[in-house]
Order: sequence, then structure tokens, then C-alpha cells
Amino acid sequence: MKKQFIVCMLIALLIVPISAYAGAPLETVKARVNEVLDVLRDHSFKGESGKKAKKAKIRSISEKMFDYNELSRRTLARNWRKFNPEQQREFIKLYKSILEDAYVDKIITYTDEKVVFNKENPLSAKTVEVRTTILTKKADIPISYRVIRKDGEWRVYDVVIEGVSLVSNYRTQFKEILANKSPDALLDTLRKKVGKA
Amino acid sequence: MKPIQYFFLVLSFLLLGFSVSYSQEEPAGPSVPSSETSRITNTEEKASMPDQTVPDTVKEPEQQPADQSDEYAAEEKEEEPVRVADPIAPWNKAMYHFNDKLYFWVLKPAAQGYSAVMPEDVRISFSNFFNNLTTPIRFVASLLQLKVKDAGNELIRLVYNSTAGIGGLADVAKTDLSISRKDEDLGQTLGNYGIGNGFYIVWPILGPSTLRDSVGTVGDWFLDPVDYVNPFFFDALAIRTFDKVNTVSLHIGDYEDLKKSAIDPYVSLRNAYIQYRNKKVEE
Repeated sequence: MKKQFIVCMLIALLIVPISAYAGAPLETVKARVNEVLDVLRDHSFKGESGKKAKKAKIRSISEKMFDYNELSRRTLARNWRKFNPEQQREFIKLYKSILEDAYVDKIITYTDEKVVFNKENPLSAKTVEVRTTILTKKADIPISYRVIRKDGEWRVYDVVIEGVSLVSNYRTQFKEILANKSPDALLDTLRKKVGKA
Repeated sequence: MKPIQYFFLVLSFLLLGFSVSYSQEEPAGPSVPSSETSRITNTEEKASMPDQTVPDTVKEPEQQPADQSDEYAAEEKEEEPVRVADPIAPWNKAMYHFNDKLYFWVLKPAAQGYSAVMPEDVRISFSNFFNNLTTPIRFVASLLQLKVKDAGNELIRLVYNSTAGIGGLADVAKTDLSISRKDEDLGQTLGNYGIGNGFYIVWPILGPSTLRDSVGTVGDWFLDPVDYVNPFFFDALAIRTFDKVNTVSLHIGDYEDLKKSAIDPYVSLRNAYIQYRNKKVEE
């Protein structure tokens, strides 16, 4: 179970929705997921350089898909105020890097999973949750994308895999760290982690 | 049956007692008054960090200042039910590290060796076989939660998979009848009836759990056919070990990915486990 969650945390994060203004969130999730799956299944990327190119392509798709600003704010929540603007900028940069590094490496190994799009639930005036299921050989894993509309675009600010919210998980980790350390110390920890990856 | 009844009775009382003092479960709605939330937060924070002074931010009331939008306040409220008390954190962390070593030094190498000689499809069949055996656990749990349809489905799955699925090796109920396995257990049953998690416990080998879920796991052992194998101890142990290695072989990489993506793997795992269980109880 906890392991299944990890599997999907990894697939899901880069399979994300982005929507043209007119499109409904679910339709745009569909379009984007297929776009990423296409990249994953593209056999023209060969060898080590092919792998690097694939990763770069997925990274650029994720750049457009995610609202890292929103992700960062929601992850830190109350603690966001503890950071001054410069620290906030660095946090967003490091957080983004950590997420991308962890997940690109994993998602690149997936090729033929099928994704089923279930439905969308409005969460608030600006946010919608799009439910999908990934069918793998070993299990069916429910994944929800929470998207927010900003400047006419839908972007992802949270991914929920088998009931585990990414934002909530990181929030708990950061909260515990910030209970004992200063924002600068946290940034230092993140810098080291990014440096190692 | 008598000893079992007493066992459950005693444990239920213990559980209720602990839940009252440690439970952090809150309704999902916005009706919780902020002062009460802060008080519970204080208790929980103190309980989980005995060695450090509670920082000032924890004592702040839930009311957000004007510069933060309503959505962040909503996020914070939403977060409350995800917390769990961790009063025995030193023990839990030690067990976490023990399990970590166990995985990398024992389980993973065994699973890798096993994977090398056993094709994935066969290993999935074995997984199906073991899942089929634990039907009684899901069946009883569903009934106790008055989820009659789910209980019925589990029965159908048992019969169909055991026959058409050749002893449970193939999950044909899923492919032919579109009836998927629904995970239910005694821990979820207790949760359904309002029993809180209690507090977080990490068991050696078995992994993360909570007070409620541990009680549930023990109860489920009475419903697990493997425990009635004769002679009991070594054969059941051998079967369980095989099951464990087989399961691990299908999920190699998952734990490594959690560690890689987490800033604090212990906290990440704890939080993920609680979120996952809360979701399961809800379903």
C-alpha cells in the first residue's frame, strides 16, 4: 500500500493538466496526459542522449503544467510568512527542483500504462479536482489532480494519490523542520538535497 | 471463543482510553472552533516533541490575518485530521531505521534474487493467490461496517477466482466481472465507528501502524487462514515470509523513491500512512 502510493506519486506528478481557457478541466487533463504519455512511448529517443532529451521534454511540459508558486505557498501554508521575499523565491526554485528530480527519473521508466479519466469535482470557485485512474499490471491506482484557474489557465497545485496529497505530505515534513530550524536552515537542507541529486 | 472475546473487550477499552486522550480526528467541515483547534494542536505538538520547547507559531489562533487568502486557511483546517500523535517517536524512529536496514540488507536482495528467476506474471499470480486467501478479513470487515454489497462482492470474488481463476491465481473477477478487490480490515472497521488512530507506532518488520490499526491487525490474524496451518509456527512463518518477499519483489523501487523525494523520510512515511488510512476508512 505505501509502496503503491509511491509508484503513483511518481507517475502522476508529471502527468498533469493544463487547459486552454475554453476547455473544461477534465478535457485538458486528458490532452496533457496523452501528451506526456506520447513522450514516454516515443521510441525515437534512443540511448543515453535520448533519455536525456526525454527527461528535458518532460521537464518542460511540467513547467507549463504546474503552478509552482501555488504549490509552494500551499505546502508551507502558515510558514510562508516566515520567509522573506528573497527566501520565498529560493524556496520555490529548490522545491521545484526537488520534485522534478525525484519524479522525472521515475516516470521515465513507464511506457504502457493506461489512464482512465473519471470525473471532475469543483472544490471552490477557482479550483477543481480531476479524478483519474492509472491501470498498471499490478494494480489500479486512483489519482486526482487539483487544478486552479489563474489568468485563464488551469494549472496543477496538488496531486492526490490513493488519498495521499502531495502538498499535505510535504507540508507536514516542512512544518516539523521549521518547528526547530530557521527558514535559512531549511533552505540550506534543500540546497544540499538538490546538490546531491 | 471466550478468550478471544475477552481479548477484544480489553483492547477496545484500552483503545478508547487512548483515543480520548490522543485522538486528533476532526470533522472535515468548518465547524470546529478555532480555540479548540489550537488547544488540540498544543497537546499534539507537545506530545510529539518532548525535547523541544513548543514554538510560538503553534500557539497562534487559527484565524488568519487579512493578508492570507481564505484558501490557505482552508488548507490549514483541512490539514488537521491528517495529524497523528507521535508520543513514542524515539522508539518509532529506531524501528523505522531497523526496517530501513532490513529492507536494504535482507528483503530487497532476496526479492531481487527471486525476481531474477521468477517472471513478473507468475509473481502477480502468487500475489493474487494470497489476496484470495485473505478474503475472510475483507468479508467480515465489510459486514461489520454494514457494507453488505461489498461483502457480497468479496464472496463473489472468492468463488469466481477460486474456480475460474484456478485457485485464486488469476483475478478473473476483476477482468470478467469488473469486480475489483476492496481493501477492508478490522482497523478500518474501528475507524468507521469513530475510533481515532490513537497514536503512531512503527513495528519492526510489519512497518507503520497506529494503535487502532495494530489492534485491527491482531484481530485480523484470527481471520487469516494462514494462521490455521498445521503445525502452526514454522509453516505459517514460511508462508508469510514467501508472501512478503513476493510482495516486495513487485514493489522494488517504491521505498527508494519515497526516500529520494522526501526531505524527512520518517515524517513523510508517517504522514502518507495516516492520509492513506484515513482515505480507506472514508471509503
